[in-house]
Amino acid sequence: MSDITQGAAIAIAGARKVYTVFPQAQRVAVDDVTLEVPRGAIHGLLGPNGAGKTTTLKMLLGLVRPTGGTFTVLGVDSRSRAGRVHLGFLPEQPYFPPQLTAAQAMRLYARLSGVPEREIAARTGELLERVGLEGRASTTLSAFSRGMLQRLGIAQAIVSRPSVVVLDEPASGLDPLGQRDVRNLMMQLRDDGATVLLSSHQLSEAETVCDRVSIMSRGCVAAEGPIAELLSVAGRTAIRVAGLPAGLPAPVAAMAADVADSGDVIRFSVEDADVRRAIDAVYDAGGTVVEVEPKRESLEDYFTRMLADEKGEVA
Amino acid sequence: MIRRLSAIAGAVFLDAIKRRVVFAVLFFAAILAFSAPSLPSYGAGVDVGVYREVALSLTFAASIILALALSANRIPSEVERRTVYNVAAKAVSRWEYVVGTWLGITAVMAAVIAAFTVVDQLVGLVRYGDPMWQLWQGAIAIWMETGVLTAFAVAVSAVTGAVVVTVATLTFAFIGHSRQPVLTSFPAFPAWLYPSLDSFNVINPVAHGTGIGAVYVGLMALVFAGWVAALLALGSLGFARRDL
Repeated sequence: MSDITQGAAIAIAGARKVYTVFPQAQRVAVDDVTLEVPRGAIHGLLGPNGAGKTTTLKMLLGLVRPTGGTFTVLGVDSRSRAGRVHLGFLPEQPYFPPQLTAAQAMRLYARLSGVPEREIAARTGELLERVGLEGRASTTLSAFSRGMLQRLGIAQAIVSRPSVVVLDEPASGLDPLGQRDVRNLMMQLRDDGATVLLSSHQLSEAETVCDRVSIMSRGCVAAEGPIAELLSVAGRTAIRVAGLPAGLPAPVAAMAADVADSGDVIRFSVEDADVRRAIDAVYDAGGTVVEVEPKRESLEDYFTRMLADEKGEVA
Repeated sequence: MIRRLSAIAGAVFLDAIKRRVVFAVLFFAAILAFSAPSLPSYGAGVDVGVYREVALSLTFAASIILALALSANRIPSEVERRTVYNVAAKAVSRWEYVVGTWLGITAVMAAVIAAFTVVDQLVGLVRYGDPMWQLWQGAIAIWMETGVLTAFAVAVSAVTGAVVVTVATLTFAFIGHSRQPVLTSFPAFPAWLYPSLDSFNVINPVAHGTGIGAVYVGLMALVFAGWVAALLALGSLGFARRDL
C-alpha cells in the first residue's frame, strides 16, 4: 500500500461491478474505478446518470458486493463491520420506517452507530436543530415532506460524528435555502476535520464546496483533480465590466468571446495577450472593470463537452 | 451486538405495532370472540370446552394472518424503499438486521396474542364465570408457532419478494401440519426432514383436557428454538450475499 493510500481517508482501488442479467447477459456498471480522498477534504463524485457513481458508493459501503477491487476507509476494509464504524452515509432520497417519530428514528440510528445512551437525547435535539427540524422530534415520519426526510437523513448520517461522511445527492428535494444549509454543513464538517465524499448532480453545489472532483462516465473515472485545474481554460482571461449601456466598444467586441450581457454588467473573455488592450478600451469608452480572472469553464460546460466527445467517439 | 439487535427490534416493534392492520385484526378477532358463545352449536348445550377451542382457533388464525402481514413484506419493502441503507451502511452485520427484524415482529405477535387471550378470558368469564387460565398455555404454543412461521417468512423475504414469501410460508405451514399424510405418500423420504408444526398444536388438551405440563412446554421451546435458529441462519446467509 502506498503512502498516499495509507494517509487517505477513503481509498478505492480497481473497483469493478458486473451485474449478471438473466439468463447470461452481463452488464458492467463499474469498470476499474480508482479513487483516493485525502483526510479533511470534500471530494466530489460527479457524472451523468448511469455513470456508476451510486454503485461505487454502494460497494464502498458494503451494500453491494463488488466483482473486484479494494475499499478502505481510514485504512480499514469498509466492507467489514469494523470498517464502517467511522462512516456516516446519506443515501439518495432517504426513507425511514413511517410509523416512527423523528426522535425514535434518531435514537435507532444513534444506537446502531454506538452513541452512548446518555448522549442520545441531547445529540438528537442538537442535530435536529442543526438540520432545521427543531420542534419536529415528536412528529411521525409519515407526516414528513420530502425535504424534511432529506434533512433527517443528513442528521442520521452524522449522528455519531463520523470521520468520513458519504453523501449521495444531499441537496435532492431541498429548496434553495435548504441547499445552502447543506453546503454550509459540508464546509462545517470539513472545518471540524471530517472527510466528505459527495456524489451530486448539482454541479454548482460541487463547484462551491469541493476541493477535488472525480468525474465518472460509463463506469470509469474520466477525469480527476482540483476543480480549478480541471476547469481552467489555458490562455484566456475572463473580464466583467460595467457602465457600457451601448455594449462593448468595437475594439473589445472584435477580440471578445463568450459574451454575456445582463444589462448592467457584461462578461466576456479574451486571450491573455489582449487583456491590457481590452481593459484600456473599456476605460476609453467610459466603462469600468469589475473583475479580471483566469477563464474557467463551468462544470456544466465541462460535462456537456465530455458527453459530446463521448458521442463523437461512438459515432 | 445486543444493543444493535435491541435497537433494530425496538424500531421494528414500534413501527409495526402502530400499523392499521394490527388494529384491524385485533378488532375483528374481538368481535368474533364476543360472538363465539352465540354460535348455533351452543344451543345444543355444548360446554365450555368448545368455547375454548373456538377461541384458540380464532387466535391461531388471526395470529397467522397478522404474522404474515407483518413479516412477508417487511424486508422486501425496506430494500425497495431503501430504508435498509440507513441501517446496513452503519456498523451493523446483515445477520443482526435479519434477527433484529424477527425479534421485533415476534415481540409484536407476543403483544397481540396476549391481547387476544385477555379478550377470550373476559368473554369466558362473563359468559361462563370461568377465567380459563389454561388458555395461556394455548397462547404460548400459538406464539411459538407464529414465531417459527415468522422466521420462515423473514428468511425467505431476505432473498425474494412478498408474494413468494406468502405462498412459501403458507405451504410451509400446511406441510408442517399435514406431516403424516405427506409422509404416507412418500414413504422413502426421511421423516425427520419434514417440518413438524404439530408440536405446537395443543388446542385439544387445552380446550377439552387438563392442559399441557411444564415438560411439554419445555420441549415445545426446544423445537421453537431449533427451527428459528436454523431458519434465521439461512435467511442471514441469503441476505448477506444479496446486493442492496
